[in-house]
Amino acid sequence: MRNLIYLIIRFSAIVTFVILECVCFYLIVNYNKSQKEIWAHSSNLFTGGINKRLQNVYSFFDLQATNDSLLLENARLLETIINYRIGSEDNTFQNFEQSDSLVQYRLIPARVCSKTLHLRDNYISLCKGRNDGIEPGMGVVFEEGVVGIVKTVSSKYATVLLMLNSQSRISGKVKSKEYSGTLFWTSSDPNVLNMRNIPKHAEIAIGDTIVTSGYSVAFPPEIPIGKIKNFDLEGGGNDYSINVQLDYDLSSVDYVYVINFEDREEKTELIEEINE
Amino acid sequence: MNSIVQGNIIRAIFILVVQLLLLKRIDITFESFNYIHFTIYPIIIALLPYKTSKTLVVAIGFLLGLFVDLFYDSLGIHAATCTLVAYLRPYMLNILSPVEGYKKDGLTAHGYGLPWFLSYIGIFMFICLFTLYSIEAFSFVYIKEIVLRTIFSFLASLFLIVIGQLIFNPKY
Repeated sequence: MRNLIYLIIRFSAIVTFVILECVCFYLIVNYNKSQKEIWAHSSNLFTGGINKRLQNVYSFFDLQATNDSLLLENARLLETIINYRIGSEDNTFQNFEQSDSLVQYRLIPARVCSKTLHLRDNYISLCKGRNDGIEPGMGVVFEEGVVGIVKTVSSKYATVLLMLNSQSRISGKVKSKEYSGTLFWTSSDPNVLNMRNIPKHAEIAIGDTIVTSGYSVAFPPEIPIGKIKNFDLEGGGNDYSINVQLDYDLSSVDYVYVINFEDREEKTELIEEINE
Repeated sequence: MNSIVQGNIIRAIFILVVQLLLLKRIDITFESFNYIHFTIYPIIIALLPYKTSKTLVVAIGFLLGLFVDLFYDSLGIHAATCTLVAYLRPYMLNILSPVEGYKKDGLTAHGYGLPWFLSYIGIFMFICLFTLYSIEAFSFVYIKEIVLRTIFSFLASLFLIVIGQLIFNPKY
């Protein structure tokens, strides 16, 4: 202890000096504007690089959460667009913003768990099921267009019948011409669908856009599907047989939106009544 | 002993009055040439008696700088400078030690001759001003400005200090 005090007394000059200089620099940096800015900036230069790298690492761990939130936001936006389009057709879009009752379609975002694309009957499975509100018969779309229709549902998973399936039947129409038909997948080409039931008096041309008709309960109208690749009259028939080139690559589907039509049950019951 | 302390206090007050009320307001600017600033108050530290303890010199330097800062609106800048030169003072004196050693207490031209005084105050003021303008700029990005300012202010200030010494020629 005595030695320590002796030491302090002996080096009192340098101790005082260091302490006072620290006080000075504290004062300089805290009470002078330009010095404060330079100080802050310099320390940013020093730590900025480290912080940036750390942030990159952290954001990697957040990717899944970021993806999910983006998916949710996308679903909401897509929902708005779909409902707005329907509202505008009925000339009710002025009060669309205020009225929630006009919203007919709800979108449920979901991630694709597995998929097959090169078989005769192709399915994808979703990581969401009945617990999230998915029911059989609902349509499935992604950002670019139609994916398929929900076939079976368990509590946590759902199987979707892809458009590229021999059992798939999707109601489509030629955009802006109101001729509607049914889309099948008969070819083995995963990019070409076959469309039938378009009457032969219809004026169609190669390159016309095919969209969903909105007549079924699965899809809202005007969801893009593809373009007419070529067409011919089936021998002696009244209908065109149209080959439709898909606008998008179904193998790139990772996130989808399941469409929940609010009046689905009512409409389905009505159709079933007719069929009986 | 008392008269030495009294003399130092009176000199300090006088130099501070000249510095803060007079020299601070002198602004020599020719277009973009504004590198001349008169700074003489650090000689208060330089002229403290030789036997003053190192710690006391550092403390006096700090307080003096802080006091000047209050007038210059630059809290900490002059204080940091003065604390540094006050700490370095014994080392400068060691380097410049006369052959017969420091026999007199007053580190003035009267005691040790003008050449010695000039070299002592020269080194002291140069370090002081260079530190001052470096801390003021706070970044060596402006090294050209710092050097120009130091050189011109150094010459101007040294001129005033030497004239002051010759006029008053104090014993201590």
